[in-house]
Amino acid sequence: MKTYLLAGLALLLACSYVGGAFAAEGEEVEMLVFPDSYKASSVSSGGTISGVVKFEGDMPEMKALEITKDQAVCAATEKYDESLVVGEGNGLKNTIVYLHDISQGKDFDKATKLEIDQKGCQFSPHVQIVPVGSRLTMLNNDRVNHNVHIFSSINKPVNKQQTKNRRKMPLAGVKKAEGPVSVKCDIHGWMSAWIAYVPHPYFAVTNEKGEFSLEDVPAGTYKLGYWHEALGTNSASPDSVTVEAGGTVTQNYVLKMK
Amino acid sequence: MRTRNIAFLMLIFGMVVGTLLCAVTYAQNAPEASERGKEVYEESCAHCHGTEGRGDGSAAENLLPKPRDFTRGLYKIRSTEAGELPTDQDLFDIITIGMPGSSMPGWETSLSANDRWELVAYIKTFHDGFKEGSAPPREITLAGKISYSEESVEIGKGLYTELGCIECHGNIGRGDGTSAPTLTDEWGFQTWPANLAQGWNYRGGSDTEAIFKRFIGGIAGSPMPAFEGDSFLHFGLTSEESKRLTELENKDEMTEAEDEESGQFYEKMDEAVNIALNRVEGIELSAAEQQIYDNAMKVVYEKSWHLANYVKSLTPEERPESAIGNNVLRSQYVQGELPTVDDAAWETFEARHFPLVGQVIIEPRQFNPTIDSVNVKSFYNDTEVAFLFIWDDRTHTIDETDEETGVTLEDALAVQFPVKVPQGPTAPKPYFLYGGRLPVYLWQWNASASDQVTELTAKGINNAEVQEVQGDVQAKGTYTDGQYKLWVKRSLKTEDKKDLQLESGVFVPIAFSAWDGSNGDVDTKRVVSSWYSFVLEPMPSSKRFVYPPLIALLSIGLLIGLRGIVQRRNS
Amino acid sequence: MKRLSLFTTCLIILVGSWLVLRFVIGGVISVPIPGSVIAMYMGLIIIAILVHVSVEDSLFREFLRPVRETLVDDRRRVRRRVVAVLIPLFLLGYTYSIIAQRASPPGSPRDAHPSPPLELTYKDEVIGSMQDVVNPFRHYEKDDPEAFKAHVENGRRVYYQNCFYCHGDHLDGQGHFAPYLQPIPANFQDPGIIPNFQESFFFWRIAKGGPGLPAAGTPWDSAMPIWEDYLTKDEIWDVILFLSDYTGYQPRTFGEAH
Repeated sequence: MKTYLLAGLALLLACSYVGGAFAAEGEEVEMLVFPDSYKASSVSSGGTISGVVKFEGDMPEMKALEITKDQAVCAATEKYDESLVVGEGNGLKNTIVYLHDISQGKDFDKATKLEIDQKGCQFSPHVQIVPVGSRLTMLNNDRVNHNVHIFSSINKPVNKQQTKNRRKMPLAGVKKAEGPVSVKCDIHGWMSAWIAYVPHPYFAVTNEKGEFSLEDVPAGTYKLGYWHEALGTNSASPDSVTVEAGGTVTQNYVLKMK
Repeated sequence: MRTRNIAFLMLIFGMVVGTLLCAVTYAQNAPEASERGKEVYEESCAHCHGTEGRGDGSAAENLLPKPRDFTRGLYKIRSTEAGELPTDQDLFDIITIGMPGSSMPGWETSLSANDRWELVAYIKTFHDGFKEGSAPPREITLAGKISYSEESVEIGKGLYTELGCIECHGNIGRGDGTSAPTLTDEWGFQTWPANLAQGWNYRGGSDTEAIFKRFIGGIAGSPMPAFEGDSFLHFGLTSEESKRLTELENKDEMTEAEDEESGQFYEKMDEAVNIALNRVEGIELSAAEQQIYDNAMKVVYEKSWHLANYVKSLTPEERPESAIGNNVLRSQYVQGELPTVDDAAWETFEARHFPLVGQVIIEPRQFNPTIDSVNVKSFYNDTEVAFLFIWDDRTHTIDETDEETGVTLEDALAVQFPVKVPQGPTAPKPYFLYGGRLPVYLWQWNASASDQVTELTAKGINNAEVQEVQGDVQAKGTYTDGQYKLWVKRSLKTEDKKDLQLESGVFVPIAFSAWDGSNGDVDTKRVVSSWYSFVLEPMPSSKRFVYPPLIALLSIGLLIGLRGIVQRRNS
Repeated sequence: MKRLSLFTTCLIILVGSWLVLRFVIGGVISVPIPGSVIAMYMGLIIIAILVHVSVEDSLFREFLRPVRETLVDDRRRVRRRVVAVLIPLFLLGYTYSIIAQRASPPGSPRDAHPSPPLELTYKDEVIGSMQDVVNPFRHYEKDDPEAFKAHVENGRRVYYQNCFYCHGDHLDGQGHFAPYLQPIPANFQDPGIIPNFQESFFFWRIAKGGPGLPAAGTPWDSAMPIWEDYLTKDEIWDVILFLSDYTGYQPRTFGEAH
């Protein structure tokens, strides 16, 4: 029995090593990891995983974006590059923290608004989680023309003009989990956002302080990972987190420039 | 007998249908990639598109637009809806015809049709989406085409602005929109919006159907969005309703009644959009929903045809004639003052078209030019000559710093003549690239000093000197809507020995260099032309009114004389 | 039916021959024939007709009869007047068109394949006499096919990084820069190019480019770069191997008849 366990363990190790090697060879922005299948059901006495993601190093300077057109609307307020936003206490904003391997748990909160606003020629939020099959609505309150260019490669890529009078433009739900994929507006080349199309609700995006919280997690042991557009991901070597019924687990991360 | 006939007919029918089916399947669902496809690919395509189809062949480095990366399944030129893969016929057509304005040539004469089909099958193996069992791509229907008319063009022109085409393509389509300089493609490489006034460079051809397909289906991998279905302006409204809503939307403030009215329009649009999204998501539509969708799409398609007709109206049917050697720039004689830059007289005749190519002889080189050609007109009188040089450039660059080298970039044009006109056909000319052993005489114009032309003498591309005596040449340059116009005037004769002296009826070699600062053009990195000819077209000889009547009279005299001789002989 | 007079027959033959030369042979069958050549043929036909009609006095008289009649016979008054108007009118128009014609620029005669110098050089280094120098890698074709293949492949790389802009993907001289160059780039698929010259000739043309041509080759017009500034000696030899390998044409070797 023991030998089997050992062999199994060795195999697992080998697999994770090989997986890691593959992931390390991947592209600049690595992908999220999704479970093979997910079943939604009601969760009673779930636990919470929470924590803070911090940036290590000197406070990065906020890079002002060069606004090349539609100044009246786009340059009304100063715009900064959002690829690395560090808040008070070195909290790292816009990091996705999520479970890799959960196969059963709560359903998506239907009340969550799935929107990305185009406001002053900047996307808001900068990172948006979108359930597979759900419609994301693009808002345009700018009264200038935008085009919504979503660089999907597993799902069909999207590139649609949202003319200045089109306040709301819902986009068709996608079929497969994917991401994060880049969102751009070609008309205003500096506009940038990210969308993750996800199959389960255990995804969180950190706030200004770097805080995140995954709630109603059924008791069990999970792989917990993070993704940040500029600082990378630990997809290849996620942390193992054990959640107890009704309990709270804390997992903090400190990320630095690679 | 009868039954046998019927059986025979059925057999024939079966054979015909069978063959047709085979042909259709062959075209639609290409044959398995064979060894032959791979062989042809590696011999003819891999040097640009890479052995693995990633668009990273050895030639790719210097090319822009980059060779297609087949692994992403993003194809620019398709007859299919947004987000769809191309049909086999689309791929076959691109291989056959090539992509004008890029380095992709047509292979019609160099590969057999069979080889081209084999290639289609092989190229499809690079992307999983083509795998068997995938649903066939949804094709764009061309039914309901609205044929070209002034009226249609006018409607299309309105849509061009309303839909935001001007953001990239500019006010009148020269690719000079305010977003043009910052565009990148899916792979992060810089890309320029099409100059719609140069149909000969449209990658997928410039017939109205092609324009329509690019518009509806988008150009995948590029910033060009697809204007299909639900994202279309006022999707779900009739043209009249749309017009009314635009009116309302453009008001600063709406009355309560107007607010309600627009609210109804929005509801109607939301319903149609919802149906369209259901369709995309694969939800079956009820008959009523289908009807709403079809009606909405009918409006979209109609408007798209108008837009296609407008775009078509922006470009000449073909590239202007540019046959080398035959393309002589003839200066027209006028009496009195020469026309100034805005004079309507310039519109009275067509410009000569001089294509320009990248300078790839001397480092730094320009492999991916953005200036296509320069068009020239000229007038002269007894003492002076005036030129109008017209060329398209998407950006007005007067002072931009190259990020890599730190040098200042700006747009410019140089017009080149020999200092001395070669005498006789075998006499040597100066080297076409700024001269060499024999010097050239140059007019250098820079966008940063648009009312000034500097006279240079050059004995090589890196050996140009500003002439000591300046001021012989007057100039005025303008930039509007993606087009430069440069007016230049000079005396036919000057005191300066380093200048070219002009004389009516003498053919003078002429050549051009142009720089697009935003494309990194500076110094030798530029576009150039070969030597062409320029002549001050002599006034038609007055002899043409003297000799012909004289000869006619002479012939009458001869006839009379002949008659006399014959008559005398007869008697 | 009235027999045609000899004069009319000759006239029909003349006009017919002109039509055939101008539109049938120089149009339907082949490219248009230059005007001077047509004029030469027409001259020959006129001489032949004159010889034919003037061998016998009676025949000549018969030939001239309609002319004489037109000139003096009162029954031919109408014809006489028509001729008296048409001939001067034709001459009027013809001389006018000649005088009013616009001049065309002087053509420049060019020897596309002028004689090379006696010595083959790379930059300032003398390689040998033009007649004796052979491609140092050519022998691999027989001795070491693998090495030969490697050289051809390197030549392919060199070609597609440097040459195909003008000489074309298919080596047919139809690259995307080609249509706007004068003289047009060489077409290596033309059976008259590769088999007619030694490899040393190609080396010379590649290494020295347009400016290296003698006057007969109009060096001031050619856009061929001086490739010794960019390519190594070996690269030039390799690309020559590629040219003949791709097209299937073997360059001339010394000793063969021209």
